[in-house]
Amino acid sequence: MSLMRSEDYLPRPAVIQKIIAENSQIKTFVLALADQQANQAFTYRPGQFMMVSLPHRGEAPISFSSTPTRPGTIELSVRRAGSLTAAMHALQAGDQVGLRGPYGRPFVMEDLQGRDLLVVAGGIGLAPLRSVINGCLDTPGHGKLTILYGSRVPSDIAFRGDIDIWQHHPAVTCHLTVDAPEPGWDGPVGLVTGLLGQVKVDPASSTALVCGPPVMIAAVLTALGKMGFADEEILTTMERHMKCGIGVCRHCHLDSKLVCVDGPVFSRAQLKKLQMDRL
Amino acid sequence: MRDDAMDQAFILAKDHLKSFLRKVKKGHRLVAPVTNQHNDTLFCTINHLDRVPINLTEQAQNGIKSFLFPQQETLATYAVSADGYRFNRTDVRPEPTVYFGVRPCDLMAVLYMDVVFMGGVKDQHYLEKRQDSVLIGLNCNAPFANCFCSATKSGPFLETGFDLMFTDLGDRFLVEIGRPKGREMLQAWQQFFTPAEAEDTRAQYQLSLEAMAGFRLDVYADQAIQRLAAGLVPESVWEQLSLRCQDCAGCAYICPTCTCFTIVDRPAGPDCGERLRSWDACTFAGFTRLAGGHNPVAHKIHAIQTRFLHKLKYDVDKHGRPSCVGCGRCVGICFGGTDIVRFIKMAGED
Repeated sequence: MSLMRSEDYLPRPAVIQKIIAENSQIKTFVLALADQQANQAFTYRPGQFMMVSLPHRGEAPISFSSTPTRPGTIELSVRRAGSLTAAMHALQAGDQVGLRGPYGRPFVMEDLQGRDLLVVAGGIGLAPLRSVINGCLDTPGHGKLTILYGSRVPSDIAFRGDIDIWQHHPAVTCHLTVDAPEPGWDGPVGLVTGLLGQVKVDPASSTALVCGPPVMIAAVLTALGKMGFADEEILTTMERHMKCGIGVCRHCHLDSKLVCVDGPVFSRAQLKKLQMDRL
Repeated sequence: MRDDAMDQAFILAKDHLKSFLRKVKKGHRLVAPVTNQHNDTLFCTINHLDRVPINLTEQAQNGIKSFLFPQQETLATYAVSADGYRFNRTDVRPEPTVYFGVRPCDLMAVLYMDVVFMGGVKDQHYLEKRQDSVLIGLNCNAPFANCFCSATKSGPFLETGFDLMFTDLGDRFLVEIGRPKGREMLQAWQQFFTPAEAEDTRAQYQLSLEAMAGFRLDVYADQAIQRLAAGLVPESVWEQLSLRCQDCAGCAYICPTCTCFTIVDRPAGPDCGERLRSWDACTFAGFTRLAGGHNPVAHKIHAIQTRFLHKLKYDVDKHGRPSCVGCGRCVGICFGGTDIVRFIKMAGED
């Protein structure tokens, strides 16, 4: 018997159970595979992604924003960016999408066990890290969590339900910042890197998790290095155009790596080895 | 013919070639190079051996990539109905196929595609076409004008990787057995074959030496590979090449080892359609562009770098050899002169 996986590129139908509007651009789709047995057997890990199909629109990779510690459904948070995601935003509960996956190298939750986590996210970048955060909070023996989340404007702040829980959780410190204020905002204004100096974290016992727009990731990775984080303890997850998800089509190439199979989770140490460090 | 006698080489008289292929065709689709009325020599399916002459003297313009990895193929059909959104496989089982007259470069290219499509996760669409295929090679006695397979160690004569390998000895072919499928084929039609004599293998060796001396291009692939590995190829090389690249992707389509692809949906009606896989090229400007517009490979120079680094650096690191097989086809097709031979030459200069 071969242990090799094979890929036939056939998506499985999944039913939208619920849609949560996170802000004007992001919706979270709560999904279950139409086949109940398949849905019960389905497993994934934080950091992995699914290839999501919509009729006539093709496929796009979307990472899990839910945690496998809460089985039964999966959640994919989608920012409206192109034709597929626009069509997805027009869907209703009860509608179906096609799903292939899970794909990609995950965050290794066992490695994070017992370590303090510093989560730095921007915009939709909080989605894959929400999977890690909630997974940690569901697991006994987790360390302290510090969450820094930057949004363009206060009305763009996504995952407010989670943020509310995190801000009241004894093990979590959660700071928000915005690029530009709106009336009623009395929190910090400025880039998320500005919050890094205000938090108390011990780089020796912490792992940093970073996701957001490419320029933000680059700036945060550098700042974390200066704070004393080891390159192996700075993890990021990358977004790329993908067609196959299994390391063949090469649309997601990053120097010698393919983001779909070598990532999407990379440590700063791994990224530094690449000649072309192009986020 | 006893099994222990099968390690040696055999002789097939040229007069018997057609009879042998006729037998082969009984259980297989036969694909071989044929020159058409436009004077193009292309690998194609041969339906009537008597009507189309197999051309074993020219280099086929296409190789056999498109048979195993078609320029466009249907991965699935889809439909939206009361049943929901369903994908179905198009159940076209590929015919068992014998590829005859495959040159060493194109054979090496198939071995590379095997690694790409079956080395990690197995691509079912490739696997189904590949598993029922038999590769009968033809060593190159005389390299063609743009060939440089000796520089990429993928010819002009191969000793492994084939099911059967033919060498043209004038009035007869020397036939060597590689993989088990070749042995089975030879055993099945052993009436056409006689054991080779020592003089036949001597003649083959002589031809291989003459072939090695017959290359017209000086291509120092190893030097370029070493300089790429050491980071010694200056930015100006990429700049010059990127200025001349016309973004036509001719090099990628003609290349027997270029396997980048895209997947798109083609509607067949309001509620149904096909999901298609088509060849793509990493040099295209939109290859890496994300929805929303961000493009991590936004400049031509980086796209060109990607193409040559993939073939001459990344694959060397990953698989131990470059994924350029020295067939020279891109030299003939590139009107900007940014083919891999030009790159190798520029990369080698101080």
